[in-house]
Amino acid sequence: MNDSEDIVRLESVEKTFRDFWLRPTVKAVDGLSLSVRKGEVFGLLGPNGSGKSTTIKMILGLLSPSAGDVRLFGLPPRAIEARRKLGYLPELSYLHPFLTAKETLRYYAGLCGLKSGEAKERTAQLLEMVGLADVAGRPVGGFSKGMARRVSLASALIGRPELLVLDEPTSGLDPVSTKEVKTLVKALAANGMTVLTTSHLLADAEDICDRVMILDHGKSVAEGRVSELGTSLEDFFLAKVGDASEFRLAPFLG
Amino acid sequence: MTAMIGFAKVFWLEIVSLVRSKTLAMLAVASVAWMFAAPFIAKGDGTADGAREMFVRYSLGGAFAILLVSLLAAATGSLARERAAKRLQLTMVRPVNHMLVALAKTAALTLSGAAVLALCCLLMPFAPGVGDGVLGRQCSHVLKPRLPSAREEARDMYDAYMADPETPAAVKKAKKSVVLRLLENRAIDHYQTIATNDTVTWHFASAETAAEAEGLAVRIRFTNQFDVRQDVRGELRIGPLSGAVSNITQAVVTVPLSRRAAEADVAGAADGLSFSNMGSSSLMLRPRKDIDLLVPADSFAWNLARAYLEMVSILAIAVAFGVFLGASLGRPVALFVAIVTLVVGEISPSVIEQYPDELETSVADRIGLVLTRFAAEVTRPVAALQPLGRLASDECVEPRETARVVLMDFVAVPLALALLAGLVLPRKQDGL
Repeated sequence: MNDSEDIVRLESVEKTFRDFWLRPTVKAVDGLSLSVRKGEVFGLLGPNGSGKSTTIKMILGLLSPSAGDVRLFGLPPRAIEARRKLGYLPELSYLHPFLTAKETLRYYAGLCGLKSGEAKERTAQLLEMVGLADVAGRPVGGFSKGMARRVSLASALIGRPELLVLDEPTSGLDPVSTKEVKTLVKALAANGMTVLTTSHLLADAEDICDRVMILDHGKSVAEGRVSELGTSLEDFFLAKVGDASEFRLAPFLG
Repeated sequence: MTAMIGFAKVFWLEIVSLVRSKTLAMLAVASVAWMFAAPFIAKGDGTADGAREMFVRYSLGGAFAILLVSLLAAATGSLARERAAKRLQLTMVRPVNHMLVALAKTAALTLSGAAVLALCCLLMPFAPGVGDGVLGRQCSHVLKPRLPSAREEARDMYDAYMADPETPAAVKKAKKSVVLRLLENRAIDHYQTIATNDTVTWHFASAETAAEAEGLAVRIRFTNQFDVRQDVRGELRIGPLSGAVSNITQAVVTVPLSRRAAEADVAGAADGLSFSNMGSSSLMLRPRKDIDLLVPADSFAWNLARAYLEMVSILAIAVAFGVFLGASLGRPVALFVAIVTLVVGEISPSVIEQYPDELETSVADRIGLVLTRFAAEVTRPVAALQPLGRLASDECVEPRETARVVLMDFVAVPLALALLAGLVLPRKQDGL
């Protein structure tokens, strides 16, 4: 593997959350190493509480690791140069309710340093792409969850990022929108964009990811190319993290 | 250039949020409504001067207080609420300097407050009892007698005071800094006795130039009882100007000085103001507090403009502090700390004035005084500014002081606080 092609690189990363008195409360990520190469779609999978979101936040520079090293484009994640090449879609659409869809995109275009003319052009293109051109002048506070998700996705793409980080990209979308998002991600990857995504929906991950890593209790339990699994991603996943062993259904079923 | 676009966008977003959430409109309505309602609650002495003074102190002052508290509250929520709603992370992952985010929010909130305050100032001539003639009124520079500072006087007195057998033992055991503070307070209140038929002279900086000015006046404060000051008679002289002091019915009198060509041979010293006591009893005055030479300055409109700049600077420093707290703490805690700081800043000077030293107090009181003194020192840049008091008294809000306040409180301190907020922001995001 050529290190210079690693867009994201984590080496022995740990994250321990602490309380007010700095006593450790939970170790969310434990000795995790991974690399995301240029142009690939990398899926970070795992059950709830496995450390996916914490890992994503460390890659984004929103959290700093307790130990280990995180590199984004070979730089610390909080470096402005690294953030310039980054697009991020959070798990929920955290939009400013007073802004219209167009204003939202123009705002993030400004934060990405796009000049007025370019921002205007890019905003129109993206609103057209996510199918919101007709409602571009409406405040996003009144949008449905699916529409808000589309605005967020367009915002993530506004700065022409080289790395797109998607946290549960199809969360809250209807089947048609889900299919559209998957098609979009594939198209972006085909155009050379690197995508790092997390998902609970293994079928979605199977459709779009080139390579996946499965996390459990903050550790990597498996990593490999989807095409080389030799079984469905769901079977592979359940084999690695167990199949609902925490649920004890018998007492309720009589 | 990229940084400036990012700054402009965050600034714009904050303004849009304030406008579309109707916060700015509510703030403007509340401030203006108070300004016009206050004269019906706090009534003056029936004169136009009284109405103007009451208006400046209570109407404009009340509107400013509403703005100060509201903006401080809004500032604490500006970053904290966005962080709680997780919107902030979408800004944090963009290539924008975190300090500029804090600075843009500070600038937007300050500008909003400045706009509402400007509206209040512009509406002032239309307020009941004030009238548009107010803008042409003349204000005065206030010159104080040129004396050694109270601190210098305290240092000079220290050795003699400690050697004096009548000095209490508790004082002799106290730390030098405590005794010096005690002596400094005494020096500020140091009385000068002027016996009958005696003349004293106080020197003022640039008094010679002042003596040439038209409309020069002297303001004297009397702290003694009415029946004593009724008997005060005397004459004030500076260069070719003089004024008579008699029939004192008020605690503060302003004596206009006029040219007396016929008595040029007995003119006063050109560099000093002399007072001859012609009454039947001795007179006691505190030169540092009771004697002011009033030198004509520019109009009330200009004075209002300078007071406005100082008030905007106070808003800026309060907003910057609120934004910094919001970057460092959760919204409720940030708001609590901001309000407590504001209250402590406001009351600490009067607490210190009432309990000037810690010689005869309990341990708890001594600790309280030390903390209060610290709070007063920290909040002095805001609490010490009294542009409205000077404006109400027709005293000139000095341009040099305004420039210093704008430079420090509008520029330097908010910049420093934004820098700190920018440093704290990612760490707070980290859950620390």
